Amino acid sequence: MRETTSSAKEDLADVAQVLGGDANAFEGIVRRWQGPLVNMAWRYCRDRGRAEEMAQEAFLRAWRGLANWRRESSFSTWLFALAANVFRSELRRFPTVNLPLDEVPEPTGPSTQHESLSKKQNYEVVRRAVLALPLRYREPVVLFHFHEMDVSAAARTMGLPEGTLKARLSRARALLRRRFPHLNEESTDTEIAVLNTGKEA
Amino acid sequence: MKRTQIDNSKMDPSSIDRILAAEEELIPSSGFLGTVMESVCEEARMPAPIAFPWKRAIPGILLAAGVFGWGGFELTRQAIPAVRELALTQPHLSLAIERPLEQAGWVTLALASSLASWMLSRRLAGRSGLL
Repeated sequence: MRETTSSAKEDLADVAQVLGGDANAFEGIVRRWQGPLVNMAWRYCRDRGRAEEMAQEAFLRAWRGLANWRRESSFSTWLFALAANVFRSELRRFPTVNLPLDEVPEPTGPSTQHESLSKKQNYEVVRRAVLALPLRYREPVVLFHFHEMDVSAAARTMGLPEGTLKARLSRARALLRRRFPHLNEESTDTEIAVLNTGKEA
Repeated sequence: MKRTQIDNSKMDPSSIDRILAAEEELIPSSGFLGTVMESVCEEARMPAPIAFPWKRAIPGILLAAGVFGWGGFELTRQAIPAVRELALTQPHLSLAIERPLEQAGWVTLALASSLASWMLSRRLAGRSGLL
């Protein structure tokens, strides 16, 4: 998805240059992967400042461990797996402050005047509720959606078999559905499309 | 049953999946790239970590291990007859306790020599600028 053949080639070239002693070549790697890594970190903590700090730490670890990339997998797979490890350990050290799942407020009914805003807020409640899941269920959900619902990419990032990841996803969905039972009837693609029109705003 | 549920959820994403997938993309702040590269260049400028001087340390380690091994062997060798005497002859109890104590000098000597070898290896490493 995010990785194209040309970017893979650029990654290989930059890695070779960095390992040859040119530290500035790492800039190309950061330039290409800063967006995905910051977004991935954001999904782990939903705090912009902290997401950038965690992504920066992930890049530093990548810099230090670049010689350990064995090229058995693509550079992006290695980088995402390394970043997931960094984010996981950072959140273990300093957990995000979250309400338990049962105490996450139920999304309110849409108001007539600000329907779009209300839905946006309600969807944010659901997204934040993911952070209240136990870590073993939270991380598969975060990575599955980060990888645009690609189970195998999420499984590779977590270093888990696909079956285990699917089972954890299923359990996570069940926990979220139990908390937000009305969502199955309420949301439609159209509503989400409406929400997405306001992304750039 | 479980497999069907999992596959269905993959085929037909639930509303929860649709909400989570419709997440807006964050754009990293303008200074992010610069901050990361600053940290990377700072690390690149730092001298490489000094490797542990195994070549110099190995003789010291072997010597210390030998001294400890010999000390342990001697202690056991001397202690076994003493324990036997202690078990067999009640009247010689005080002597039986006394003999292992006499060997304490050897143990102290072994410990002292291992300490000396450790200090010597540190000093040698210090002179060569490794410590």
